Amino acid sequence: MSPPLVEVQALHVRFGQVDAVRGISFSVDPGAATALLGRNGAGKSTTMRVLAGVIPPTDGLVTVAGHDLRTDVLAVKRLTGYCPDVGGLVPRATPWEHLQLAARLRRLHGWEDRARELLERFDLGAAAHRVTAGFSHGMGRRMSVILAAFHQPPVLLLDEPFDGVDPLGVEATMDVVADARAQGAAVLVSTHLRELAVEVCQDAIVLRGGAAVAELPAQEMTGERGAGVYRSLLD
Amino acid sequence: MSTALSSTDGGWATASWWSEARRAFADVGPLLRFRASALRGRSRRFAIVGLVLIGALTIMAAWLPAYLPDGDGRRGDVLTLLPSALVGVVLIAVISAAASGGGRELMPRDQAVAYPISSMTDHLGALLMAPLNIAWLIQSWVLLGAIAYVSGISPGLVLGQLLIVLWLLTATALAQVVGWGMEWLRRGPGGVWVVRGMLALTGVAGAYLVASGDLLPLLEASPTINVAIAALQARTGITFLYVAVALVLGLTMLVAIVAGGAVSGAVSRRPARDVLRLETSTHHARPGPASDLVALLRTDRVGIWRSVPLRRGLAVLAVMPGLVAIAGDLRWDMLTILPGLVASGGALLFGVNSWCLDGRGALWRDSLPVDPKLAFLSRVFVLVEVLLVASAGTVLLASVRAGLPSQAEFVAVACCAVVVVLQVVSASMRWSVRRPFAVDLRSARATPAPPLVMVGYSSRLALSTTAVGIFFSVLSHISWEWSVMFALPFAMFSAFRLVRTSNVWADPAARSRVVATVAS
Repeated sequence: MSPPLVEVQALHVRFGQVDAVRGISFSVDPGAATALLGRNGAGKSTTMRVLAGVIPPTDGLVTVAGHDLRTDVLAVKRLTGYCPDVGGLVPRATPWEHLQLAARLRRLHGWEDRARELLERFDLGAAAHRVTAGFSHGMGRRMSVILAAFHQPPVLLLDEPFDGVDPLGVEATMDVVADARAQGAAVLVSTHLRELAVEVCQDAIVLRGGAAVAELPAQEMTGERGAGVYRSLLD
Repeated sequence: MSTALSSTDGGWATASWWSEARRAFADVGPLLRFRASALRGRSRRFAIVGLVLIGALTIMAAWLPAYLPDGDGRRGDVLTLLPSALVGVVLIAVISAAASGGGRELMPRDQAVAYPISSMTDHLGALLMAPLNIAWLIQSWVLLGAIAYVSGISPGLVLGQLLIVLWLLTATALAQVVGWGMEWLRRGPGGVWVVRGMLALTGVAGAYLVASGDLLPLLEASPTINVAIAALQARTGITFLYVAVALVLGLTMLVAIVAGGAVSGAVSRRPARDVLRLETSTHHARPGPASDLVALLRTDRVGIWRSVPLRRGLAVLAVMPGLVAIAGDLRWDMLTILPGLVASGGALLFGVNSWCLDGRGALWRDSLPVDPKLAFLSRVFVLVEVLLVASAGTVLLASVRAGLPSQAEFVAVACCAVVVVLQVVSASMRWSVRRPFAVDLRSARATPAPPLVMVGYSSRLALSTTAVGIFFSVLSHISWEWSVMFALPFAMFSAFRLVRTSNVWADPAARSRVVATVAS
């Protein structure tokens, strides 16, 4: 069995006096998708930002494909694709310019066809050369998912990818997650939308107050019973 | 900042105009308190110290020059310039209000959106913000100082200065009306071209006045001479002219405040067409960038050149100081002041909080696999090129009247431009990393940092760049090698500070704080 692509051990993140993440541990195997669930302020986005190399951990060990985030953050960034929870787009650049920048920095060649295909799949083909400042929230979210996924990273980090996205966009995002899993990528989806999370992931970690309160198969969180389980974990 | 229909905007209620005006005035208080509540700890202390400092400097400017000796009849010279100085206050206030899309916001648009803030409250807020501008403050201090100097020590000095303060307030209120009016025109059909046409006509008229030698006589004959005379007459007590001028100014100010509110309301009902057009504009794909640095530079450049407020601000900076130099018949040895002025102004448009150009895209950009020092270098390059181009534009314009420079003068101006641009960029990048702010610079009315912080930044930049400008002005009178020789250590010091800031930026903890702040 292949070793986990993402390993998090006793992760702590502190902002001044506030403990945003308090000792979270989990791992994600190749081809697996794990949902990070929890209320606002539970520590989901902070954990995702740490994994994307945007925030350094205060304490604990985080490795991505064997690379220690503390010592080799650039290698981690090369291996991950990240859709941030807020915005994620440079206001005055076009989607194509975003893709060009990412392709250049990730040393991609012949990426254009896949980029066009993704833009069409997410219904952004007509807006490929339009400045993103005028995008709706949903368009911005969809574009952020494309930017995270188009270089087919071994680790896909999607933070609130369904937030304000229409059903077609949700479907396209689910396809992206399924494709990534099929190619052996480890996927982490952070969301507060339980129903969508359990549909796209096979494992779920529920966070509360910066700590993991449960780690369980996503199936246990489905339906009315799952809603009750989830609700009880949030209180 | 007007965010919702209030009854003054013709909404639900049918309350009287007077009660709505009172409500608009009353709403300013809670907004001010809300802004003040965001200041905590050190920021609060800095704000209090800043306000006390501004107050103290104003009192000193209005009082201490009275003790200066006359010296070769200089009081007479200053007296002659007073009517022009009074007009200058109006000009600066008008340029500031027009360039900032009507005036600065008391509360940023994205924060104000949840509250029913009327256009009148918005206008009053912009009036309150107007003096928190280093150009306005310096003009005011110079004017108060000039009156004190010409008056000398007399019991009526306070009365004279009160009239000047009334003039400052009236001029600001009038300028605000013009600023809103320009913005209203700009937002109308073909508005951008109408405003550009008006500016071109003003430029031609100004050029004619300068060329024909009519500018100075016109300024000296302006009605502001009555304000100056009335203020000086106050040395011996209250005269009929003093009372008449005070009444006219007071009445004009009240009318301007009311009119400003009305025009501000009209502005809020018109969409900002040029901003909307640019935000939905399309741009054809260019060939792939040849290197990582080129890729980063491209992204950084679009953040500036596809922003209406930044383009407008840079255009004003590249043209206005040059026009003033032409009007003032500045010689090449004095042109060394201009690059510092332009570079400081450019940095105050966005440079002092330069990471906010990425907005909410900052998190994604920081997740890309690139050396943070390269991203830092790209931002520095873009700032340097923008400020150098704007500085070169204004010096070129000023040279129309200044004629051909000597070798020493040319080298002194060029070296000064490089030195002050590096100086301003190094300070801006340092502040950008040390004190980031979440700012949406889509609106021309937004500033990259809160108003009091901007006053602090602008005064520090103005002080240091003016000192360097004066230094190179002296060097322009001697051999050109001296300019190069002195420019090198200045440039190296700025480079050293940039490297130091780059090292701070490379620290993941420091960078994450900046990125999380500007993206929030």
